[in-house]
Amino acid sequence: MVLDPQLIWNGLVVGSIIAISALGLTLIFGILNFINIAYGDYMAAGAYVAWAVNAQVGLPLGVAIVAGILTMSVGAVVLDKLVFQHFRSRSPITLLIVSIGLAFIIRNFIRAIWGPSGHFYDLPMEANPSFLGVRFSVEQVAIMVVSILLLLGVYALLRRTRIGIAMRAASDDRMLSRIRGVDTEKLVLYVWLIGGAIAALGGIMLGLDAQLRPNMGFTALIPIFAAVILGGIGDPKGAVAGGYTIGVAQEVSVAVIPSEYKFGVGLLALIVGLLTRPDGLFGEATR
Amino acid sequence: MALVDLLLVVGVIAGVYSLLAIGMNMHWGDTGLLNFAHAAFFAVGAYTSAILTTPPATGDLATRVVGFDFPIVVGLLAGTAVAGLVGVLIAITSVRLEGDYLAMVTLSSAELIRLMIHNEAWLTTGAQTLKNIPRPLSGAVPVSYDLFYFVLVWTIVGICYLLFTRLSHSPFGRVLHAIRENDDVPLALGKNITVFKLKSFGIGAAVAGLAGGLWAHYVYAISSIMFLPSITFLIWAAVIIGGAGSYAGAVVGASVIVFLRQITRFIPGDVPFGDQLAYIRLMVVGAVLILVLYYRPEGLLGDAERLQAGTSE
Repeated sequence: MVLDPQLIWNGLVVGSIIAISALGLTLIFGILNFINIAYGDYMAAGAYVAWAVNAQVGLPLGVAIVAGILTMSVGAVVLDKLVFQHFRSRSPITLLIVSIGLAFIIRNFIRAIWGPSGHFYDLPMEANPSFLGVRFSVEQVAIMVVSILLLLGVYALLRRTRIGIAMRAASDDRMLSRIRGVDTEKLVLYVWLIGGAIAALGGIMLGLDAQLRPNMGFTALIPIFAAVILGGIGDPKGAVAGGYTIGVAQEVSVAVIPSEYKFGVGLLALIVGLLTRPDGLFGEATR
Repeated sequence: MALVDLLLVVGVIAGVYSLLAIGMNMHWGDTGLLNFAHAAFFAVGAYTSAILTTPPATGDLATRVVGFDFPIVVGLLAGTAVAGLVGVLIAITSVRLEGDYLAMVTLSSAELIRLMIHNEAWLTTGAQTLKNIPRPLSGAVPVSYDLFYFVLVWTIVGICYLLFTRLSHSPFGRVLHAIRENDDVPLALGKNITVFKLKSFGIGAAVAGLAGGLWAHYVYAISSIMFLPSITFLIWAAVIIGGAGSYAGAVVGASVIVFLRQITRFIPGDVPFGDQLAYIRLMVVGAVLILVLYYRPEGLLGDAERLQAGTSE
C-alpha cells in the first residue's frame, strides 16, 4: 500500500496541535502532579478570547492571537490562586475532581458569553497552493511553523535556563529538588504561565484548523491524553513524540477505516501503549 | 402545567440520576476506581432496551434495520445485562491501571462507544433520534402517567439502594473497601483483586444500564447527544457532593444536582439573563462541587474515614 502524502501532511498538522497541547498538559502534570481536566477548556478559552479580539473588536489576527495567549497565561495563574492553590496538599484525585468543577465553570462561561454555536476566525480567503500533489493551506503551514518554533523554544527553556532545569528536577523528584534549594512554589507560577500560554496557542490552532466551539478543547482532550500517556506522563519530549505519532496514525488510518473512527486510533494507541510500555515511549514517565 | 406535574417530571429525572449515582458509588465510593465511562453505560442500557422493544421504522428515510418487538421488561433486563458486560469489557483492558490512568482510558472508551452509536445507523439510527420507544403500561394506568412512572422509578431506586447497601456491608463489599484503601492488603490475604475490580465495574455499569433503559422508555426518543461525557461529570459531582461511600449520599447528591439543573423550570422566563440561565446553573454545579471539596471533603452524608481512597501508592 502506498501512503498518500496528503494524509501524512494532514497528520503532521493535526499532530503538531496535539503535540504542543500535550506538551503543556504534561509540563503542568510534572510540577503539580495531577491531571487537569479543565486544560481543554483553557484551550477553548484562549481561542475564544483571540476570536473576540479578532472578529468582535476587529484587530488583526496576529494581535488577537497574542492577546489570547497572554490572557490564558495570566488566567491560568489566577485560576491557580483562586482554586488549585487551596487544594495543594490534597490527593491528585481530589485535584482531578476539582478540575472537573472548574471545567464546568469555564465551558459554560464561554457558552454564556459567546453562545453555544460555532465561530470562525476572520481569515482572508486564499487559494490553497499545492506542491508535489499535496494541498497546503496557509493556516496549516503557519500551524506547522509556529509549533516547531514553540517546541524548540520550550526545549531550550528546559535545557538551557535555570528555571527550566529546576522544572525538570522538580518534575523528577519534588522533595529532592526542594532539599537542593529549588523554590517549588515559584516553579508552580512559571509552569502555569507557560502551560496556560501553550494551552491557548493549541486552542487557537484548533480554531484555525477547523472552527471554535465551546466544547472544542474538551473534545480534543482525548487524543491529547493519549499522547501524554503514550509519551510517558510528565515527560515533555515523550508528549511531543506521542502527539505526532497519534496525529499521523489518526489521519493515515482514514485510508483503511471509516474516517468517523479515526479517534479510535488514538484510544487504541493509548491502550496498547499502557499495556506494553507503561513508562512511556522513552521510559521516562515521572510516576 | 401545575407545579405538581413539574415536580413529578423532575422527580423522575432525579430517580434516573440516583440510579446512575448508585452505580458510580459502587465504583468510586466502595472500590476507589476512577470510572469516567458512566455516560457510555447509560447509553448502552438505553439503546439496548430501545432497540429490543422498538421495531425498525419503515419508509424511505428509515436507516435502522435491526429492531424487535419484545416486551419492555425484556428490554430493561437486557439493557442492564449488556451495560454490565460492556463495563466488564472496558475494565478488562484498563482496570489494572492506577488512578488517573484509569480515568483517561475509561473516558476515551466512553467516547468511542458514543461515536459508534452515532455512526452505526443500521443499529441505532445514528445521528438521528431513535423514536417511538414504547412506554410501559401506557394508557392503562388510572393515575397520571408521570405519577405512575415516578413511583416506578423510585421503587427501583429503593430496591437498588437496599441491595447495594447490603452488598457494601457483605464480605464482598468489605473486600472492595480493602481494595480501595490499599490494594496490597487483600492481595496478601489471597484475594484476586482484579476479579473483584471487574465485578465491581460490571455491577455498577449494569445499574447505569438499568437507568438508561428507564430513561429511554420515559422520554420516547433518544439520540447520541444525550450521552455526552458531561453526564459522567455530573454524576461524579453528585457522588462527591452527596458523599462518596454512602448510597444515601449518592441519592441525595443526584437529587441536588438534578434540582440545581431543573430549577429554572420553576422560574418565569422573563427574568434578567433568562437566556443564559442554562449555562449559569451548570457553572453553579461546578462551583458547588469545588466548594464541597474544600469545606466538606467527605460530602454531605459521606464517611470521613474513606477519604484515604486512591491516595495509597
